[in-house]
Amino acid sequence: MHTARHGLSRRDALKLAGAAGLAGIITVYPGRRVFAAADQSLNLAVERTRITIDGETSGAISIGGSIPAPTLRWREGQEVVIHVTNRLDEGTSIHWHGLLLQGIMDGAPGFNGFVPIGPGETYTYRFKLRQAGTYWYHSHSASQEQEGMYGAIVIEPAGRDPVRADRDYVVLLSDHTPENPENVLRKLKVSEGYYNNNKRTLVDFFRDAQRDGLGATINDRLAWGEMRMDATDLADVTGYQFLVNGKGPRDNWTAVYNPGERVRLRIINGSAMSIFDVRIPGLPMTVVSADGQNVVPVKVDEFRFGVGETYDVIVMPTEDNPFTFFAESIDRTGYARGTLATREGMEGEIPERRPRANLTMADMAMAPGMDHGSMAGMDHGNMPGMDHSNMPGMEQGSMAGMDHGSMPGMDHGSMEGMDHSNMPGMDHSAMPGMKQDATGSKEQAMGWGDAGTPPGAKALSYADLKALSKTTDLREPTQEIEVQLTGMMARYIWTINGQKFEEGTPIRVAYGDRVRIRFVNTTMMAHPMHLHGMFVELENGQTDRMPKKHVVLVPPGQATTVQLTANEPGEWPFHCHLLYHMASGMMTRFIVEPRTASL
Amino acid sequence: MRLNARTFYTAATLLTATGLLVAPGLAFAAPGEAGHKHETAAIGEPAKATAKTRTVQVVMGDNFYEPETIPVKAGETIRFVLKNQGEFLHEFNIGTATMHASHQKEMAMMMEHGMLTPTGINKNMSGMDHSKMGMAEMKHDDPNSVLVEPSQTKELTWKFTKDTALEFACNIPGHYESGMVGKVEFKR
Repeated sequence: MHTARHGLSRRDALKLAGAAGLAGIITVYPGRRVFAAADQSLNLAVERTRITIDGETSGAISIGGSIPAPTLRWREGQEVVIHVTNRLDEGTSIHWHGLLLQGIMDGAPGFNGFVPIGPGETYTYRFKLRQAGTYWYHSHSASQEQEGMYGAIVIEPAGRDPVRADRDYVVLLSDHTPENPENVLRKLKVSEGYYNNNKRTLVDFFRDAQRDGLGATINDRLAWGEMRMDATDLADVTGYQFLVNGKGPRDNWTAVYNPGERVRLRIINGSAMSIFDVRIPGLPMTVVSADGQNVVPVKVDEFRFGVGETYDVIVMPTEDNPFTFFAESIDRTGYARGTLATREGMEGEIPERRPRANLTMADMAMAPGMDHGSMAGMDHGNMPGMDHSNMPGMEQGSMAGMDHGSMPGMDHGSMEGMDHSNMPGMDHSAMPGMKQDATGSKEQAMGWGDAGTPPGAKALSYADLKALSKTTDLREPTQEIEVQLTGMMARYIWTINGQKFEEGTPIRVAYGDRVRIRFVNTTMMAHPMHLHGMFVELENGQTDRMPKKHVVLVPPGQATTVQLTANEPGEWPFHCHLLYHMASGMMTRFIVEPRTASL
Repeated sequence: MRLNARTFYTAATLLTATGLLVAPGLAFAAPGEAGHKHETAAIGEPAKATAKTRTVQVVMGDNFYEPETIPVKAGETIRFVLKNQGEFLHEFNIGTATMHASHQKEMAMMMEHGMLTPTGINKNMSGMDHSKMGMAEMKHDDPNSVLVEPSQTKELTWKFTKDTALEFACNIPGHYESGMVGKVEFKR
């Protein structure tokens, strides 16, 4: 296929060809048709390797010999067979993210009877492709995904693709740390702010105000301190290198086009912990698909990109100019970068970096029914030197007599000329980087939703997503499930309904039922919630064209509702796709039970 | 209708600048810019179908045409029968890529103003008198274009005067970008 050739690197293509060559040894099951081999079956080995990013080499794990793993190009309706051989000295797995398949083929250890693929073992996945679109595959074991076990899946529709493009590229974003992922998690558990470079200690201030009973005037009980989080908690792990198709910003992955061509970019957020703001300055993007499902095309300048989500966009560069594909992590610690150009070796301008957003109390608007009592174990003992003794009638706006000098970690250097001894009605707007003005400023974005989008530019919102095909099940849900996203940053415990995975009660729904899920995010971080096995339909204001998603990014302090038809029996993982959140307990079982014994 | 003065000002500026949507008597093109009339002449002209006229059936889907290439001869008149089998409003517009690009901006505005919806034409608004607001009547009445609502069939008869790079396109926001465009292929 003409377009496929452009999307695959020559190396990937060779690899696929190699895999196809080995595909002769397929067991033919009685009663099944003989596979035409080649494009329908392949062998993938999982093995330790080294990866070089921007000139630095570190350890990694590859699937099929490369990072990212080879793009799997299939066609709707095909039955595919994948032999996965584990060459690691630990168990592994491959999960087919977003695919509708039988439970055991989903590849999540501990669910649907799937057990990890042991060292030296080969597991054969076999499933029929019941859908088209852009998806991905990754390890569902420990932190292997972060070490390089991710790749793209592109399934061509059986019928006509409603989108036509001259070029077709996968743009797989990821975050790489040379550090051992297990060490990252351990550090997070020891110190919540380990990776937080921009810590604000007003957090501590509010927390103690609460303890001392001075917070009577803080009528909002959802103050920062109580949540034990920082106002800068946009992302909790930093030090990442952000990659486009396995290449660092200096490696500069390049997509080649001829002026006037339609270029389809299948953008996948395959990172472990990083939410991005994605834009291509100078090139509007027409979003044609979300999470592999076609949507009514919508033209945007940028979009916020949750972990695990995918968006297909069309761009039409008409001039012979290099354009920079730019994906800034929302904590603004770095960016993934690629280039769209008429030939290799060209470089576009690197846009000015956007300011980091400070979360505001508005991001905590949510959480009715939040159980503050359950936040036991709040430790106020470790705040040395904070003098709260002379803070009468303390409130957010007036911090008279507060001794800022003793707040560890607070950056006074950036507050020149500020008189701390005399702060009646403290004016935050005078503090650079702490402007409370709702409109935001160049220097500081306020609130999670503020991506720093310039005036006149259009950022995609979930409300813009409209399914190209009408919703088929219009029944009113008969069951409503509230899923509280909960956590304690200080102990790095992330939970669902206040309970860690395997300590909480699974969610049970009856096969065939229409169900509503209400996510209530009581934390200060956005959680990309991923349900295996079925799509959810996002309640975004559309009535009969709710977009289908496999990941829903629930903003901090907000509630998001989705519906689904429980038509895939099984015991499905339901979790936050931030790798360390899942690892620390933010996961549950979503069980679709047969209605009767006969089913 | 929720419109502010600024939007209307922008709309008016855009409309007068392109001249494509303005009532003929009011149209004036900015100096140096390709005028509507001139371009229309280059792309061909509307014609009347006779018994001899060749008919080309075009099916519109969401969001594509079938066929995607239509062979014609210079000087030939073709009666296009346009059947919308999709669930959304579609356009069949004959023009150059540049003309389509500028028409897309107008279509986006009509959509934004509610004159067009994703599935149809708002009849109450299409005859609206905008003159009081300092702009000419906003109409989708270009001779080289026809809008077809879902499950409707419409016709457009067009004489292709000379060999030039032409596309038939749907300029409803997002449709052109996602590939709802075809090629007019001039044959000898």
